[in-house]
Amino acid sequence: MSSSAVLSGNHAIGERRHSSAPPPRNRLLPPSDPPPAPPKNEARAPRKDSAQGGVAALLRSSKAGPVDSVLAAVVIALVGFGVVMVYSASAIEATVKYHDAQFFLKRQGVYALVALFTMWLVSRFDYRKLKPFTYPILVAVTLMLGLTILGLGHKAGNAYRWIAIGPVHIQPAETAKLGIVLWLAYSLSKKADKIKSFSIGFLPHLIVVGALIMLLLKQPDFGSAVVLLFLTFTLLFVAGARLPYIAAFTALLGMGAAALVAFSDYRYRRYLAFIDMDNHRQDLAYQPFQSVMSFGSGGWTGLGLGKGLQVLYLPEAHTDFISAIIGEELGFLGILGLVTAYLIIVSRGVKIALEAHDDYGSFMAFGIATLFGVQALVNLAVAMAILPTKGLTLPFMSYGGSSLLVNAAGAGILLSISRPRTNEVPQDKPAPVRTSEGAPSASVLIATEAQVDAWGSGSPAASSAPNPKGAAAAEGASA
Amino acid sequence: MKNLDPKRARWIRIRMGILCGMMGLGLGVIVSGAHRIQVEDGQDWYDLAERQRQRRLHVTPKRGTIYDRNGASLAESVEVPSISLDAVELLRGIEDRYLPMRIQQYGERIAQALNLPQEEVVDKISRRRRFVWLKRRVSEAEVAAVRALGEKNQRYPLRGLQIEGEGHRFYPNRELGGPLIGFVSPDGEGREGLELALDHELRGKSSEVRGLRDRSGRLIFSEGIEDEAALAGHNVYLTIDKGIQFTAERELEAAMKTYEATGGAVVVVDPSSGEILAMASAPGYNPNDYSVADPDARRNRCVVDRFEPGSTMKVFSIGTALAARSVNPTASIYCEEGNMAIDNVVIHDTHPAKYLSVTQILSLSSNIGTAKIALGLGEQRLYEGMRRFGFGDTTGIPFPGESMGVLRPRGRPWVSVETAAASFGQGISVTTLQLTMAMAAIANGGKLLEPVLIKRVTDGGGTMLSETQPRVRREAVSPTVAKLMSEMLVAVTEGEGTGVEAAIPGFRVAGKTGTAQKIDPATGRYTDTHYVASFAGFVPADKPRLVIAVVLDEPLGGTYGGGSVAAPVFRRIGEMALRYLGVTPRGSVPMKLSEVSDRAKVGDPATSTYQVLTEARAAVAPITAGVVTPSAPMKSGETRVPDLTGQPVREAIRAATAAGLTPTAFGTGRLSRVEPPAGTVLPKGSAVKLFFEPSS
Repeated sequence: MSSSAVLSGNHAIGERRHSSAPPPRNRLLPPSDPPPAPPKNEARAPRKDSAQGGVAALLRSSKAGPVDSVLAAVVIALVGFGVVMVYSASAIEATVKYHDAQFFLKRQGVYALVALFTMWLVSRFDYRKLKPFTYPILVAVTLMLGLTILGLGHKAGNAYRWIAIGPVHIQPAETAKLGIVLWLAYSLSKKADKIKSFSIGFLPHLIVVGALIMLLLKQPDFGSAVVLLFLTFTLLFVAGARLPYIAAFTALLGMGAAALVAFSDYRYRRYLAFIDMDNHRQDLAYQPFQSVMSFGSGGWTGLGLGKGLQVLYLPEAHTDFISAIIGEELGFLGILGLVTAYLIIVSRGVKIALEAHDDYGSFMAFGIATLFGVQALVNLAVAMAILPTKGLTLPFMSYGGSSLLVNAAGAGILLSISRPRTNEVPQDKPAPVRTSEGAPSASVLIATEAQVDAWGSGSPAASSAPNPKGAAAAEGASA
Repeated sequence: MKNLDPKRARWIRIRMGILCGMMGLGLGVIVSGAHRIQVEDGQDWYDLAERQRQRRLHVTPKRGTIYDRNGASLAESVEVPSISLDAVELLRGIEDRYLPMRIQQYGERIAQALNLPQEEVVDKISRRRRFVWLKRRVSEAEVAAVRALGEKNQRYPLRGLQIEGEGHRFYPNRELGGPLIGFVSPDGEGREGLELALDHELRGKSSEVRGLRDRSGRLIFSEGIEDEAALAGHNVYLTIDKGIQFTAERELEAAMKTYEATGGAVVVVDPSSGEILAMASAPGYNPNDYSVADPDARRNRCVVDRFEPGSTMKVFSIGTALAARSVNPTASIYCEEGNMAIDNVVIHDTHPAKYLSVTQILSLSSNIGTAKIALGLGEQRLYEGMRRFGFGDTTGIPFPGESMGVLRPRGRPWVSVETAAASFGQGISVTTLQLTMAMAAIANGGKLLEPVLIKRVTDGGGTMLSETQPRVRREAVSPTVAKLMSEMLVAVTEGEGTGVEAAIPGFRVAGKTGTAQKIDPATGRYTDTHYVASFAGFVPADKPRLVIAVVLDEPLGGTYGGGSVAAPVFRRIGEMALRYLGVTPRGSVPMKLSEVSDRAKVGDPATSTYQVLTEARAAVAPITAGVVTPSAPMKSGETRVPDLTGQPVREAIRAATAAGLTPTAFGTGRLSRVEPPAGTVLPKGSAVKLFFEPSS
């Protein structure tokens, strides 16, 4: 398993760095490890010392089982494939606009590398340590969304969706999607059974999400708002919120959305154009029409990679409408392949959710899997004009740093949750839970064998990896 | 979810399963949708997309130039930029509430750049068409202004403005040969005259190049226009000589004005080849402004109009009779002293006489004599003889709308009186061209030629594609009879003949006058007020170089006879054309000394005597006016590039053409530069490039 080999190798490097330069880097420590926290079991104390090694220590702390290699492989393949497709879809526009056919390719290549690195980094990070970051992330996301509508946004088309910090353009809507999943998972797992109540379990979530949605609608970014709402209801439903509440609210919001469409001239005309596409081919329904045209042009096997010509007509071919270009160049078979890839990602995500160590991880995994799945479905549906244009990206494929980075981070969290674990991050749920749980699995058995040594040397590193090297490294760290 | 109690965990899993099922449903929709769009309708979408991007580039090649026989341009195409607008592209991405404001703004900017009224531009934008002409044939300054509007560095660069070179047909000689040449519609189709007849040659292969265009209509790449010259229209060299054409038109115009005729036609033909040197039709028009011209004036009367020829037909009646030996050339015919009844119709002669020789019958234009010869010949043989001279049939000239003329208007053989009438050209109709070609047959030893109007055709690169050779249609009469006829016809222009006005000093002129009564369309009878005056003849009689037919319709003011109305036109054209062609009188024409002194009485005796003698010798009189002494020696057939700096386009092209050069214009405005420079001596017909710049 190459991934685990890489992980351990890097781990060793991290150790070396730690041993050569051991200054106190407590600032990098998550607040989840506050020094005054009472050691709830003996494993805590020595680890705290080693945690002073900063990032390396953080990474080590997540060193549980191996990640879901199938999921990792498919995500890496999709990102790579996305870079290829972005090049194919953007070459002409890049040549015309920037006189450099590789303009978007170069950037997407860099984004892809950064994104994959981010995924790796996040996958090393124990997801349970994300809990204290929940509110800072939520606040940051809200602030960023607020900034975009306060005029600091960078305008593209008719919408203010970006914050420009120098050459870097951040799309807060993308971060909002992941942020809301993190927050909902945290909040729902904390509230546990109280979820069934309206005032505690239902309303607070809706208020927070509602505020974010208002900000998104102000941009306007209707698509992201809908996705956010869908994620919220999904997680509420999963966590056990009462169905009548959800149904009633869905109906209410549906009416609200209809009213929004009906009273906004711009949206209503786009809606009419979508309904009566044939008569609006040249104006409002130009983009969806061109999209279907390029999608359909592919036939069974497509025109061949790089041979699609609809990029000449389809605006934003390399971002939101990249699936239309895939349809054109790779045909129905290519789309089947793409859909299969997303099916694998989502089903692995759901599997991770089902097998997650705790409900927090489960909710988070399911939320992220839903995020990927819904965005992919909506994007494809838009490309086929089954749904009106939404401005949603195709996860891992579309051009754009924010989307790629956020989705990669999400995948990293999924990978992190996917690691088999035997121990707990002993914050909220201490030992009793472990005992309450049933018989350990085979991997756990193997892990415990390895742990004997670890315990023997007094290391609580809780390495369940059957890799003696990892254990040795842990030993070295504690020494 | 080991931290939850199993019951709740199971519920959560079930709920997750439900949601997964929903997503699976979505997946099914996507896959089935993709199958429907791509596999079932794929071909349709592909075709639609193909149609959209493969907007066939209609490459309109440069229309060929029409030259006269010496390479002077009569009609040429100039690339002139035109501005069109794609309003959809211009307004793309503008929110509806800003639309009216933007349309006003854009309209103002475009209107300023193109010097158009703002309301017009705004109106064109508001219609939101994908293609609309904003302004055709714009100046360089306007092109620059439009370019500036679309510059990327502008705050709001305008999209959708296109600059296209549009071929504009230009007739440098204005009215010259208007009805003959015809004109071209703005979209490049020949509409009348030769432009219509030769459209397939001139237009070139308007090939469709399959090109790929992006959504703003920009050409991304195309299959390539292999060879622009190969696609370009062919250049056509006419047999028309600009100089002779000009004279013919000028003289015809003058005669029309003098005699208040309603119309007129002149055809000048080289009898040895059948080449038409001039074909003038009056009234004429300027094809540059064809839209304001009277449609009646656009007609080429030489070919399209038929008329009763009158006495000019006697040439062919008598020629046929002589060929058939039904009359002896030396015979004397009793002419009934001016009145003869055939059936119940009485025929009159203008010069009543008792006995007339055949020559006298022609020179005095005796209807009775001709009728008697014709009746002796017989209806059938007269008809066939006229057919042999090409009457009642198309001549084979490649010109649209040619009339055949009518020999037997009732579709049956003539009765006696009709035979008699036909022999002196009443009751039948012919065209001016037929008349000319028949007369050319006499001049050409009896051989009837096909008229030639197109000398040669070259492709865009100058390679010869075809050259027309003279074609003999048939022998109308034997060479002996033809020779005899020419001698007889010389008598018409001599002594007391009806056509003395046609005589050209120094040359022997053969010809025949004609004064035909017209039928009043109201009564259906011949009138005494409306005539067709005509003269057809050739010169010099013994070795003819020119055949000229002049027809004037309804000359008024008491003078209507062919001898007094049409014959002078013949003389003036003939005089000029002979001089132009460098034909010198062969042998001396005897001139009585008394005649010389008579004519020299006007003005200073010494000068006028010299003039009369010069005229008598018909030497090419040295032209003194308007000749610039050349600073470099010029051989004949060479010309000098004139200095035309500062002239407007039309003037400059006209002047360069007049100098015997073939100009090509670039740009608009006033002439700034000529290539090769002014003063260079070049062979006639050489190409010069004229560069124009807008005056500041």
